[in-house]
Amino acid sequence: MKKALLFLCTAAFAFACTKDLEPSRDILLDGDKVEVEAYSDCGSKLFVLNEGGYGSNNSSLDFLRFSDGCYVRGAFRKMNPDVAGGLGDVGNDIAVIGNELWIAVNNSGIVQVVSAEDEKELAAIEVPMPRNIAFDDKYAYVTSWAGAYANGTYDKDGNYSITDSNNPKGRVYRIDLATKALAGSVEVGYQPEGIAFYDGKLYVANSGGISSQLPPLYSYDNTVSIIDASSFKLDGTVEVQVNLKNVYADGKGMIYVSSFGNYWDVHSGMYAFRASDPSRSWRIGADSAVKPEALNVSCSCICGDTVYCIGTPDEFSWGSAHSYSLWSYSTSDAASGKGEVKLWPLILSGVPYGLTVLAGKNGDYMFVCDAGDYFNPGTVSAYDLSDGTKLWNVTAGVCPGHFAIW
Amino acid sequence: MLTALLLSTLLLSDTGDTLSAAHVRGVKDRPVVRATEETKLSKAKAVPWQLADVLRNFTGVQVKDYGGAGGLKTINVRSLGSEHTGVFIDGIQIDNAQNMQVDLSRFSTDGFGTVSLFNASKSVRLQTAREYASGASVHLETLRPESDLLRLKLRTGSFSTVNPSVEWHKLKGGLAIRSSAEFLYSGGRYEYPYFDTTLVRENADIRSLRAEAQLMGRLDGGEWRLHLYSYGSERGFPGPVIRRAAAFPFSAERQADQDCMVQASWVQDWSESYSTALRGKYSYNYTHYSTHPELNPMALPYDLHYRQHSAYISLAQTAQLGPFWSADLATDLQGNGLEHDAQMSSSPRRVLFTGALAVRMERGKFRTAAHLAYMGAYDSYSEIRPGAWSRDNAWRDAWMPSLSMAWEVLPWLEADAFVKQSCRLPSFNDLYYTLIGNSALKPESALQLGSDFRLHWEDAGASAQFRLSPYFNRVTDKIVAIPTVSQFRWTMLNIGLVHVTGLDLSARASRSGRNWSASASLRYSFQRAVDRSVPGSQTFGNQIPYIPLHSGSVYAVLSWKQWTLSWDTAYSGRKWSRSANTQDYLVPSWTTSDVALERLFLLGKNAEGPQLKLSLRCSNVFDARYQIVQAYPMPGRSIMLNAEFSF
Repeated sequence: MKKALLFLCTAAFAFACTKDLEPSRDILLDGDKVEVEAYSDCGSKLFVLNEGGYGSNNSSLDFLRFSDGCYVRGAFRKMNPDVAGGLGDVGNDIAVIGNELWIAVNNSGIVQVVSAEDEKELAAIEVPMPRNIAFDDKYAYVTSWAGAYANGTYDKDGNYSITDSNNPKGRVYRIDLATKALAGSVEVGYQPEGIAFYDGKLYVANSGGISSQLPPLYSYDNTVSIIDASSFKLDGTVEVQVNLKNVYADGKGMIYVSSFGNYWDVHSGMYAFRASDPSRSWRIGADSAVKPEALNVSCSCICGDTVYCIGTPDEFSWGSAHSYSLWSYSTSDAASGKGEVKLWPLILSGVPYGLTVLAGKNGDYMFVCDAGDYFNPGTVSAYDLSDGTKLWNVTAGVCPGHFAIW
Repeated sequence: MLTALLLSTLLLSDTGDTLSAAHVRGVKDRPVVRATEETKLSKAKAVPWQLADVLRNFTGVQVKDYGGAGGLKTINVRSLGSEHTGVFIDGIQIDNAQNMQVDLSRFSTDGFGTVSLFNASKSVRLQTAREYASGASVHLETLRPESDLLRLKLRTGSFSTVNPSVEWHKLKGGLAIRSSAEFLYSGGRYEYPYFDTTLVRENADIRSLRAEAQLMGRLDGGEWRLHLYSYGSERGFPGPVIRRAAAFPFSAERQADQDCMVQASWVQDWSESYSTALRGKYSYNYTHYSTHPELNPMALPYDLHYRQHSAYISLAQTAQLGPFWSADLATDLQGNGLEHDAQMSSSPRRVLFTGALAVRMERGKFRTAAHLAYMGAYDSYSEIRPGAWSRDNAWRDAWMPSLSMAWEVLPWLEADAFVKQSCRLPSFNDLYYTLIGNSALKPESALQLGSDFRLHWEDAGASAQFRLSPYFNRVTDKIVAIPTVSQFRWTMLNIGLVHVTGLDLSARASRSGRNWSASASLRYSFQRAVDRSVPGSQTFGNQIPYIPLHSGSVYAVLSWKQWTLSWDTAYSGRKWSRSANTQDYLVPSWTTSDVALERLFLLGKNAEGPQLKLSLRCSNVFDARYQIVQAYPMPGRSIMLNAEFSF
């Protein structure tokens, strides 16, 4: 790797004046070779964010280069050897806008912006506990867990009482895309997670994942906060289900929100509402032949107007091994919100932790992260969705979980 | 503290005649297999201040140290895991049902007379059943008053550390009293390298107060002891060194602890052939942990209170069966409870019974011991909040056999061997931690096979010892946290399997002349601790986290007249912080050296009179920058001045 860097420096110097001829200065980074022909028309690179372990400072950025099928590990550190601490602690989300890749590094308190071309650092923006990222054409919006706390004391009989019931909610921070400067924040629900932009509004999934464990609430949040983007003010709050995770907009007026359930008596699932009528949400599968009980969500993604979910119905069992199935949903009639559930003939094992689907010229291809034991490096696998065959499998970093295509 | 001192003073309001220390009637108390390591702190010179610094040099021992005076320090013996190492104060185990670990940062060397480590069963008469049931055991013997004594000590040095202590001994009639108190403050602000800059460890300060009192008395054919102990501390956790936006601190976490304990024992020889020991303990343990999110916007908002109660009673009986044989029966009963406000969880309770039947034989140059221990625990919980996790109450038990033998082959050669099965129960955290706990866990068990070859040579004014100890350990049903369906839902399972092949070497030589003495010791440990959990997995066959293949230490002491100079170098080879033994998780090897100079001033006519001891210790002389736990830097060079006045 040192050799590659040296080479790279020489190359960078030699081609400094002919930069335009060099499509990407990270081309010299090497990695495992895989077959990418079938979907190489989808972009130049597929970025993979490895979360790393909490407190271990080992989040890392990998990418799959479509020009030569090279899976490069740890690209951020290799391209930015002078950034002390590397990418940081717990990368939680990545998103591409233009030629920029935005990374929310949760436990570093940093939103890291890098060039999608060569992973060079462009900006590091300080946001407390950043979680997920969405864009409109002028701003980036980042959900944040910042500031939640509750303090209490025991009286002499051992009874706990809250002396400071201030359990502030999370926020959405707004960052100017041009200047990379913070431009205000809006309070949303408890521990907000996913965020999506559609038609002038931001939809924020509130989890309450920390509040559920702590006094005084001991309960999950179950709301989606809706923010008007132009005024950057809270526009409304709707109840959906406990412990919400991801939000997707299909671009046709449907908003999808996933819930992890409460791990006890409420199962995970995917919920939907129309942007025109957010107060009326329903669980996917409620009106289909496939019952919602079979449609669980451990991880999910959106590709075009279709949401893909991987889940297991046996999610409350204590066993170690589970088998997961893939299902998808898209709306055929935007006005009513009616759509089709599709079950794919694909059974997965391991610990699926993130997925994405690319629509190639000859069909759809799915990429799945396996977190393994969450402690040692995980893997990324590719599947041909037409017949469910596994194409390849490469070792990634610790806890791979997020994709972005550029 | 004051109460303890007052109590002792009241009991001894008149200064009467002094008698010799309480002494048990001469019955052989020699362990069948000798201690692997033993340090007589009361006799040693230039003793380190922290107990962890004494233990880290023992062969086969890894002390996991998060750095600084307040950093967590746990002991792992021969890669069994810290949960398998029992730490005993005067034969009674320090227990922590919540996480099954003992934090050594709470103990200094003050107040202890002897520290010893046993890998095989100690197998002396009248042990508690808990001693038979533990994998490896560290025995801390408190100082025994031998004469009236008042000792004032003050240590002070780097990182704004101040550590005064007082130790008071009094003998009266058949009664011996020991009272002791110690205060510690350490600012903990030490420099460490961070890439190409140097940062200072913040929020690493600690203040603690230990106060204890002991009463020991003689009876006709027996003795009793009462021990009151209290320890309180308030400290900051500086957190791991990670990339963190400049606007936010690494950590504002604080923890306050209060430990109180009263323990008592009564050992009685009823006849030449029958003796009993009755021991009991009650301890209360309070912890308040807060991440202080109002000071650190990056903190997860935890503000938690834990209260642990533990009551313990043990009856040990021993019978001499003829001239060579003896048999022991030990029965222990313990109750543990934990109350806390973390999560929607429960208040778990545990009733633990441990019993052990042991026989010992000693004939000429041959000694052997065997025991069969049984441990049964009933765990229950009370749902304290609606919506709490439904967990089954569970009964867990395990049988633990052991056999050991020792043979004095030649006057200068001893050999011993042991095989021991031991178990540790799942902790309350393993069982009940929200979203993780699994109440169906079995105990984790460890099988140990080991042997020692000891050579020793003695001459007038000179001696040499050599020990070679190969061993093999197998930890089965190891309790491991593994993720299940989603990232927030983990569970604990008995899936781990670890094989440990190791070798301990220790050599020691000493020589003394008319007004000088010199001694040196060399220790080396080899440990190949391999993950054998899931064949085909990427970690199968790899070294488990934080176990170096090679480690060792060199220790030398030189005394001349009233001067003592000591040198101590510890080495720990490279290791990995994960079972994926890759470059990213390599923890580099480190070597640290400590040097201490001590001068004794006799203020009276002889060694029994008042004396003043001054010493200067420099730790990490070469200012090595190292980490024992990844992302937790250790302090560089530091100085500690010690003044000790006793009369």
